[in-house]
Amino acid sequence: MTDLSVKLGGLRLRGPVLAASGTFGYGTEVPLLDRSKLAGMVSKGIFLRPRTGTPPARIVETPSGMLNAIGLQGPGVEALIRDHAPLWAGWDFPVFVNLNAESVEEYGELTSRLDGVPGVAGFEVNISCPNVDQGGMYFGNDPVAAGRVTAAVRRRTKLPVWVKLTPMVTDIGVVARAVEAEGADALSAVNTFVGMSIDLNTRLPRLANRTGGLSGPAIRPLAVHLAHQAARAVRIPVVGIGGIVSAEDALEFLVAGCAAVQVGTATFIEGGAIARIHDGIAAYLAGQGFDSLEELPRYLPRD
Amino acid sequence: MFETSAPLVERRQVARDVFVLGFDAPEVAGAALPGQFVNLLLRPGPLLRRPFSVYRALDGRVEIVLRTVGAGTAQLLSLDRGDQVSVLGPLGHGFSIEPGWRSLALVTGGLGVAPMPITAAAARRAGVEVTWVHGARTAADLCSAWEGERVVWATDDGSQGHRGSAVGVVPDGVDAVFACGPNPMLAAVAERWPDAQVAVETYMGCGTGVCLGCAVPRRAGGYDRACSEGPVYRAADVDWPGLPSHLHYAVGA
Repeated sequence: MTDLSVKLGGLRLRGPVLAASGTFGYGTEVPLLDRSKLAGMVSKGIFLRPRTGTPPARIVETPSGMLNAIGLQGPGVEALIRDHAPLWAGWDFPVFVNLNAESVEEYGELTSRLDGVPGVAGFEVNISCPNVDQGGMYFGNDPVAAGRVTAAVRRRTKLPVWVKLTPMVTDIGVVARAVEAEGADALSAVNTFVGMSIDLNTRLPRLANRTGGLSGPAIRPLAVHLAHQAARAVRIPVVGIGGIVSAEDALEFLVAGCAAVQVGTATFIEGGAIARIHDGIAAYLAGQGFDSLEELPRYLPRD
Repeated sequence: MFETSAPLVERRQVARDVFVLGFDAPEVAGAALPGQFVNLLLRPGPLLRRPFSVYRALDGRVEIVLRTVGAGTAQLLSLDRGDQVSVLGPLGHGFSIEPGWRSLALVTGGLGVAPMPITAAAARRAGVEVTWVHGARTAADLCSAWEGERVVWATDDGSQGHRGSAVGVVPDGVDAVFACGPNPMLAAVAERWPDAQVAVETYMGCGTGVCLGCAVPRRAGGYDRACSEGPVYRAADVDWPGLPSHLHYAVGA
């Protein structure tokens, strides 16, 4: 029996495959998945207050990918604590809450509200949010702002803090080091790429929001590269994300230096994708003669 | 909800460019209720599943109706008998036939026929008299398949039945109205019959309530998920101006 467990920022996960934020709801919605293969999940991104979300059309398929602009629709943190966290407290895998805010102070306030709530195992900070104090510039595009957000969350909790990096930067290593320096326990790399698709009948953007986040296999080689760059830049573990639909895809991220992976868009197509990917990683490791995932050689040159 | 690999077993044309496809999927067919849908996956094929109303479900077979609008439908219509697709379903909340109804009008425009044959059959079994009011652009575009309900035709060009919208020729005095068709037609239905049950069409990501991609704006504010709370709504509960009236289908590469 191959040991797929993973040590990640002070946690022991039972496998390397987690469910990505926004693709697994609050943990109850995804059908037909053997959750014993699920290493953990990141909740749908939450703000302090309820959010209506963006008008439709919210998604559109693109070649080997999908663009989405959901607008972080959600019930707000109080409803999350009341309606969802009590369920999580009884589950045998950790639930990370994906944190979203429009100011550094708000990130801190959100963390304080959630820290210590039974069922909340840790945090993933989404820094791909516009900073209203800086004219809507994204926190994640600015290493200083990204570091401040990380510090604000870090100060308010002893639980694991992961920071989810945006790919829309010139050098992901700079942001990775900035959030590591402010106490992040791990990095999630990467969030969706900003994209746009035009309808030639109306000559308007297909998404009501004009732009959306591109996910799916279309971004995988870009994401493998960025996750690898992040892993080379820091000492903390990196969780690879981006277009994983098969065990081989996940293994690319793992070999490229990631400690674990998150699967997102694939879950939309196949509820059981995570279990299939978990089993495929085990089969690959066994076939290659490894007794555990820790024995998998990583390609992580430091030069 | 089931996910099953199902072979194509039936293909027939019911209007110009419009085909019914049948898949052998006994569990899904056995569980499908009027107004529910299935989400089909082609491999190789487009990334996401493609949602279709259950047209009929009988003898272990799930039928859908479609015409080519993009890469997914084109590929479905190129399937040969025996080719497999992954069928996920039945999904969503469908039509509700209430006890005590004696008459029901089904109002459809174009491909809005999609959820109606299974619905008409259920209504007939419940002892409800069904009138089907069906509109399309021209006579050639009218769906030619019906099974014993009273039929009223309408065409935009007057080439068959009444000239104009199907909404205008619904008989008075029916106990209930179910409708499906282009969103502007459903908005007109909502004006005249606020309590009508209407099946809306939206883009869909997962079909199971996770991705929040199939947002339907509510008149009371906020959004529902067409795949979960819908796709059938009380007509007056939908904020029709907020729902796109035009679905532009992306073509994959």
